[in-house]
Amino acid sequence: MKENVLEMRNVTKRFPGVTALKDVCIDLRKGEILGICGENGAGKSTLMKVLSGSYTAKEYEGEILIDDKPVSFTNVYDAQKCGIEMVYQELNMVLDLSVAENLFVGNLPLRNGVVNYKQLYSDAEKLLERIGFDVNPRTIVRLLNSGQMQMLSIMRACAKNPKILIMDEPTSALTDQEVETLMKLLNELRDSGVSVIYISHKMQEIYRICDRITVIRDGQTISTNDIDKVQEQTLIEEMVGRKVENMYPKENHATKEEVLRVEHLSVPHPNIHGKYIVEDIGFTLHKGEILGIGGLVGAGRSESLAAIFGQYVKGVKKEVWVGGKKVKITKPLDAIRHGIGFITEERKLTGYIGVLSIRENMSIASLKKLSGLILMKRRKEREETDKQFRQLRVKAPSSETKLFQLSGGNQQKVILGKWLINEPEILFIDEPTKGIDVGTKADFYQIMNELTSRGVSIVMVSSDMPELIAMSDRCIVISEGRITAELEGEEITETNVMRAAIQGKK
Amino acid sequence: MKAQEAKSPLLAKSIVSRIFSIREMGTIIPLIILYIVIAFVNPNFFAPANLIDVVRATSYTFILAAPLTCLMLTGNRDLSVGATTALGGVACAWGLTSLHWGIIPSILLGLFAGLVVGLIKCFIVLNLKLPPFIITLGLQYIINGFVLVTTLGNPITGFPKAFTNLGQGRVFGVFYTIIFALVLGIAIHLMLRYTRLGREIYATGGNKETARLAGINTTKVLMIVHVAASVFAALVGILYASRFNAAQSNAGAGTEMTIMAAIIIGGTSFAGGSGTVIGSLFGCLLLASINNGLVLMHVSSYWQNLVFGAILVISLLLDKIRTDKSGGGL
Ligand SMILES: Nc1ncnc2c1ncn2[C@@H]1O[C@H](COP(=O)(O)OP(=O)(O)OP(=O)(O)O)[C@@H](O)[C@H]1O
Ligand SMILES: [Mg+2]
Repeated sequence: MKENVLEMRNVTKRFPGVTALKDVCIDLRKGEILGICGENGAGKSTLMKVLSGSYTAKEYEGEILIDDKPVSFTNVYDAQKCGIEMVYQELNMVLDLSVAENLFVGNLPLRNGVVNYKQLYSDAEKLLERIGFDVNPRTIVRLLNSGQMQMLSIMRACAKNPKILIMDEPTSALTDQEVETLMKLLNELRDSGVSVIYISHKMQEIYRICDRITVIRDGQTISTNDIDKVQEQTLIEEMVGRKVENMYPKENHATKEEVLRVEHLSVPHPNIHGKYIVEDIGFTLHKGEILGIGGLVGAGRSESLAAIFGQYVKGVKKEVWVGGKKVKITKPLDAIRHGIGFITEERKLTGYIGVLSIRENMSIASLKKLSGLILMKRRKEREETDKQFRQLRVKAPSSETKLFQLSGGNQQKVILGKWLINEPEILFIDEPTKGIDVGTKADFYQIMNELTSRGVSIVMVSSDMPELIAMSDRCIVISEGRITAELEGEEITETNVMRAAIQGKK
Repeated sequence: MKAQEAKSPLLAKSIVSRIFSIREMGTIIPLIILYIVIAFVNPNFFAPANLIDVVRATSYTFILAAPLTCLMLTGNRDLSVGATTALGGVACAWGLTSLHWGIIPSILLGLFAGLVVGLIKCFIVLNLKLPPFIITLGLQYIINGFVLVTTLGNPITGFPKAFTNLGQGRVFGVFYTIIFALVLGIAIHLMLRYTRLGREIYATGGNKETARLAGINTTKVLMIVHVAASVFAALVGILYASRFNAAQSNAGAGTEMTIMAAIIIGGTSFAGGSGTVIGSLFGCLLLASINNGLVLMHVSSYWQNLVFGAILVISLLLDKIRTDKSGGGL
């Protein structure tokens, strides 16, 4: 048996009102990939923040042993000195610095006390090339899409040659291609003796890459097994503590009545000046339908939704009809007035407000409904938000909990709740179940069914192939700025979607 | 959920930690400590006349700090309010003395000057999308320069009695300005807590893009807080002119920094999205008490600068600790 590089013993971590971890024990061996899975709010991210020094040794109980020696960290740098690097679940890049600067932040190459940019860019180029990641190191990070940003944070961690690498849901924003790159990278790291902790809600990936798997539920370790000795069904049951019968409970409520039509939509490319990311596309959405939009990340799907919704206006060309009437949408408020809601992909940047409570976050899209001319209707607000809080089973002490205190998946539920209170006729959802656990995913799909049964129509961008296939009534695929396929019912298969998604690619 | 499991020592700990986690504690504790120190060094501080002085000084800063809190809640800052104070006073005095206008038109003229500054500031900050810190600093110099050029640095005096009565008069022994500050504070507090606009201010400060995507007119919100800050700054200038029977070109100079420090000590975060007006009130009270206490203890004015500088640094440090705790870094 291989030696242990890391052992965490009886770790307990309390937040005001919540015990996030209770006597958790894990061990990590040299050169292995240990998977950690569990429901939203189970405590995975918290455990990893304990390990990476985000919480100081005083803030939790328990022991951390590295190479059988007890250690205690007071900050992230202490942990980094012991060779621990973490890729966080939420992006933490400096958006206005370049790719290269972000990669080497903290150890920029210096010459005579000033940054040696020439060397910085050539180092960055080398690193990017080695991993086969195609971006210009001089690009400002803000211009990258979320997948590229995620790859960047992974590379930033690797660039420091860690002994223990922690990844918290690294693939939730990645394209299949990027996932492949990551898997290759992980294999290389394992072969060179690095130990990796890999948190994911995607069973497929866990089975593919991990050596062992630890399940955490309600802040406690439930089991640790060799991956080839345990069945997926068993894992899921251990995670949720009950049986999940049907992952994709799709119901069909689609009609033929047109509610939204978009024509001649052209959206400027966010990185390349003068080029369009999608050019002259159009589609129709019917009442009660779920229209899936497939394609590779970076194909311009998110940008298209954002442009229709009025988030971006500069350089956008579009013609939009809602309920048969031509409408002008020049800002998000226009779209909302026409009954459109938009759940974006980037929770932290455009989805929630961390310093405000669950209640305040859920009501901000419906202030008109929840207030009179001047005053807020506090009772009505409380009723509506409490209803969503219960229905969506948000895991938090109360609806006064601030959003930054919630786990990623629970934040997503609050964002959904925000739009459910607004009661839109049309809902755009960009990556609906990003970072959501298996049990809750099924709940989410059930909610989508309820919405469509009430006549709400949904446009869903998804990179999760099984989800796209199971939940879409109709599916369009975007590639190289054009719609390369429109599939319906039985035609929506993995091969058809993939073929269309890479069509026109060099 | 699992809160009930907490054992009793933990419970006691959580009560203490809850008291300490009240935002306003950042000012209340130093305030208490300060009063204890002063009580030992110079009990004269607690003489009624002196206490009234402290409260009176607080009322002026608070009339400016309350609307400025709203501005800071949206994550913005304004370095031009001090200069706008001088401009407001001078404009009003000009109306009274040179134009021989009545009191109300003159006051309106002073407020109008503040409004103009506010609108110019909005235009630059919102449309040209330049950083507010630098822009308002530039604006501060421009307004200062303008006031100096027009007054040649001389104070304007000779106001009618009815005007000076504003800053000097009292009802039942309480100065009008104190009553006004109190009413304004309550009004803004209620606005932030109970109105739609209040919610929009917090949302805009917490995450502007999220707020905009939820249909909030963030431009309108920012305009309101920017204009309000300038207009109330001008009002404070008018009140100073009335109180001292003179409009001075350096009235309010340099106050923007100390007032913002008071607001941040009072629990408003530099990044926006959280804080209260009550906290700012305590912040202003702390500031005025320190000021007064230092004078009573015969500390030279050079030391006062040092103390205020330290307060500014400490307030930012406090804010950093608070945001780090709220996971703002990640
Ligand atoms: N800063 C905080 N303050 C208070 N409670 C917190 C804080 N951070 C996390 N929690 C709570 O701790 C619990 C565990 O959260 P954690 O983020 O570790 O979950 P997770 O397993 O990573 O979930 P997900 O899959 O959704 O990311 C949750 O109940 C969460 O609400
Ligand atoms: Mg997590």
